[in-house]
Amino acid sequence: MDRRLAALLQEKFGDRLLTPVRQRYDESEIRVALADATDTLRTLHDDPAFRFEMLIDLCGVDTGEEMQVVYHLSSSTSGDWLRVIVPGLDRTAPRIASATFMWPGAEWMEREAYDMFGIIFEGNRDLRRIYMPDDYRSYPLRKDFYLADDASRSPAAGVRNMERAGTPADATAATTLRKSPGV
Amino acid sequence: MTQQMRPSLDDPRVAIPAESSWYEPAPIPQTERQAEFLTLREGEMFVNMGPQHPSTHGVLRVIIKVNGEKVVDLDPVLGYLHRGVEKLCENADYHQAICYTDPLEYVASLFCEAAPVAAFEKLMDVDVPRRAQYIRVLTMELNRIASHTLFQGWMALDLGGITPILWAFIERDEIVDMLAALTGQKLLYNYYRIGGVNGDLNHEFMSRLGTWMSRAAAQIDSNLALINENEIFVRRTRGLGVLDAKTALKMGVTGPNLRASGVPFDLRRDRPYLVYPELEFDVPTRDEGDSLARYLVRMDEIKQSIRIIDQVLHEMPDGPVMAKLPRLLRPRPGRAFGAVEGPRGVYGTYAISDGTDQPFRMRIHDPSFVHLQLVGPLTKGNLIADTMAVMASLDPVMGGVDK
Repeated sequence: MDRRLAALLQEKFGDRLLTPVRQRYDESEIRVALADATDTLRTLHDDPAFRFEMLIDLCGVDTGEEMQVVYHLSSSTSGDWLRVIVPGLDRTAPRIASATFMWPGAEWMEREAYDMFGIIFEGNRDLRRIYMPDDYRSYPLRKDFYLADDASRSPAAGVRNMERAGTPADATAATTLRKSPGV
Repeated sequence: MTQQMRPSLDDPRVAIPAESSWYEPAPIPQTERQAEFLTLREGEMFVNMGPQHPSTHGVLRVIIKVNGEKVVDLDPVLGYLHRGVEKLCENADYHQAICYTDPLEYVASLFCEAAPVAAFEKLMDVDVPRRAQYIRVLTMELNRIASHTLFQGWMALDLGGITPILWAFIERDEIVDMLAALTGQKLLYNYYRIGGVNGDLNHEFMSRLGTWMSRAAAQIDSNLALINENEIFVRRTRGLGVLDAKTALKMGVTGPNLRASGVPFDLRRDRPYLVYPELEFDVPTRDEGDSLARYLVRMDEIKQSIRIIDQVLHEMPDGPVMAKLPRLLRPRPGRAFGAVEGPRGVYGTYAISDGTDQPFRMRIHDPSFVHLQLVGPLTKGNLIADTMAVMASLDPVMGGVDK
C-alpha cells in the first residue's frame, strides 16, 4: 500500500472524490461522479505525478440499482495500481463517455460492456455487440437476466422468463432482484 | 387420407427462391467503423477466414478486406465460444466459481484459476501456507513452459513447418502428464483452492519432474535450434507486424507481447505475488517489437521458468498445503482484484462480494482478448499469408477471448 499515492489523490482531486481513498492489500480505490469521470481519467493519464498510462481492465457492474463502470489502471512510472469506480449510471439508460481517446485498447472492452450491460459509451466509434449475435436483444449480465436454474434457488419467485428482452423498464419487481446496497 | 408430400426440387411447379434469400444478406452497418469497413473501393473484395480455420487457434472468424494479395482492413468476429462464464460464476459459490474459470484458456488453465483464487483470498483475508505458495509457483511455471513450447510449435505450423509441432508436443505432453499425476486432470486441472492447493506433491510427480528437469534445458535448446536458425522462418517473421512501445501501452498490451516491444513490465517482479520476490529471475525483453521478437521473448522466458523451478525445488519448505477455512465461505462485502502474470499477459479477476456465499460480480480479464484487437492494425498492408504469422506471434487463445 502506497500512502504517498493516497495523499496525492486526496490532494489533487479532494472534493471530487465521492468517498475517501480506500486502500487494501496492494489496491487503491477512488470513486468519482459520472460528470467528473472523463476529467479525472484524463488527469490520471496525463499528469506527470500519476502517469496511469496502462488500462489493465475496464468493466461494467450492475448493482441491481444502478450501473457502474470500473477502470483498473497501472502507472508506468511508480508501478501503482488504481481502481476508479464511476457509480450512478441510470439503469434504464446507462451512458458514459468513452475512454478510447486515452486508451484505444479500451474499444473492445467497451464493446463487451455494451454487449453485456447495455452501457452506451459515447465516442466509441465501433460500439456494437461483440459476443452475442447482432439481432440479440437482451443484456445477459444484468441482474434482471435470470438463468434457468434460478427458479429452483428461490421458489417463491416461481419460474421466470430466462431472457428478458430489451429495456429494464419492463423488468420484474424489485423484490426478486438480487441487490447489493453495499457495493 | 391424403398424405402431405414434401415437394421435390425436380418438380417444375416448385418455385425456387430468389438467389438473394439463399445467402446471408449483407450486414447493415451499425457503427461508423463498420460502415467504413463495409465500403469497398476499386479493386477491393472481402475474403472470409474461419470460423473453422487451422490458423485461428480456436473458433474465430476474420473478415479480411483485400486488394489483390494485400490486406486493406480486417474485422474479427468473436463469440463462437462464448459460454457466459461470468454469469455462471455469479450463480455459483466461491469454490464452484474456480472450476468454471479453468476451461477459459485450455493451454494454460492454472493461470485462469490463479487469478480468481488470488482475488477471493484478498476478499477473505486468507493467508496461504508457504508450501502451498511454492507449489503454486512450481505448477504455474511448468504450465508456462507447456504453453510456450506449444506456441513454438503452433507458430512454426502456421508458417508452414510441420516438424516443430511434433517436437514441441514431446515436451508439452511430458509436462501435461506430470501435472496429470499431480492433479488428476490432463488439461483442466482445478488444482488451486482458496487458501492453498488440492493435495500435496506426490511421488510420481516428483520423480517425473526430476527426470524431465535433468534433460529439459538441452531438449528445449535442440527444439530452438530447429527453428531459430531456419532461414525461411526468420525471414518471414523479422520486421513483420512491428508494434512500438507507445502503441503497445496505449492498446493495453501486456505479457511477452509488451516485453517484445521493449517495456520490461512483468507482474512477477513489478507487483509481486506468492513467493516471487524471493526468487531470482530475469525479465527478458527485446526492442524490435516484430513477430520474431515476440517469438524470441517467449523462448527466453522458458529458460527463466526452468531457472525458477530449479530454485523452487531447492527451497520448498515442509508444512501444510491448505489454510484452515470453514466449508461455507461468506466473505465480508467488498471488492478485490487478483492478477497474475500468465504466458500471454495479465490474467485478472475483479470480484465483488455482497456478503453471501456467491460472488456478486466476477469480471474476468483475459489478455488474449486485448491482443486480438491488434491483429487489424498490425496486418494492414501486409500479405494475407502474413496475417497468420502476426496472429500466431500474438498467441491468442479463443477460449479466453470468448469467455
